[in-house]
Amino acid sequence: MDIKLENIKDVALVVVGGKINMDNCNELRDAFKKILKEGKTKVLIDFNKVDFIDSSGIASLIEMFQNLEKVGGQMRLCHVNKNIIGLFEITKVHKLFGMFENREEALKEF
Amino acid sequence: MTIVDEIIPSDMALASDFVSGVFEKLLFLSLDDATVFNLKLCLHEAVVNAIKHGNKLNNALRVHIIINNETNKLIMEVTDQGAGFDHNALPDPTDEKNIMKYSGRGVYLIKNIMDDVKFINNGQTIKMVKVLKKEEG
Repeated sequence: MDIKLENIKDVALVVVGGKINMDNCNELRDAFKKILKEGKTKVLIDFNKVDFIDSSGIASLIEMFQNLEKVGGQMRLCHVNKNIIGLFEITKVHKLFGMFENREEALKEF
Repeated sequence: MTIVDEIIPSDMALASDFVSGVFEKLLFLSLDDATVFNLKLCLHEAVVNAIKHGNKLNNALRVHIIINNETNKLIMEVTDQGAGFDHNALPDPTDEKNIMKYSGRGVYLIKNIMDDVKFINNGQTIKMVKVLKKEEG
């Protein structure tokens, strides 16, 4: 999994690539912790290059969502492929995350 | 036809590579992208559950994976050497009170993705069946 952290004004952008699974979801957790430590409360995760996620990966997203909720923050996802959207819908976690076609659409909603 | 019949130790570090390797052997089936994604996820979740929850990460215990291809379906069986479990007793992860929990989605995903799922020998074996559609063109 590749993770790149960027900032777009007051939004922390997390660009993730590859597989998010039980082997590496702690790397994603660490990136989220760094963002929270910096006091950022708006997080956009770009899934453009994510081709797989398992239940552990979904759990790491839920954890970040909860941590942001505690500080009145928001989490958005963009460029999520249809296979992954399918998993989010089955597990109903799509109701938690705002999902958008692209970065521009997601940024508008913060 | 049996495509895979392998026994692996209960080592979490092996699970992802094992599953990826299995799908190299399924290339000849010309499955569409969504089917490969879903089958890979279900096998991954079943193997991880067998190692973690079934065999309790005991490296001395093994996980047996069998994949058979029949006329229009793929049958994946994952067997651990643990005490088994009651799949009916698993909480619904989509319930309001469980939606924020960090675990409990693996079996639920499998049940919703595969066309038929059976738990054999008190849950030591999960048998997952997917009806296959060949890629068009």
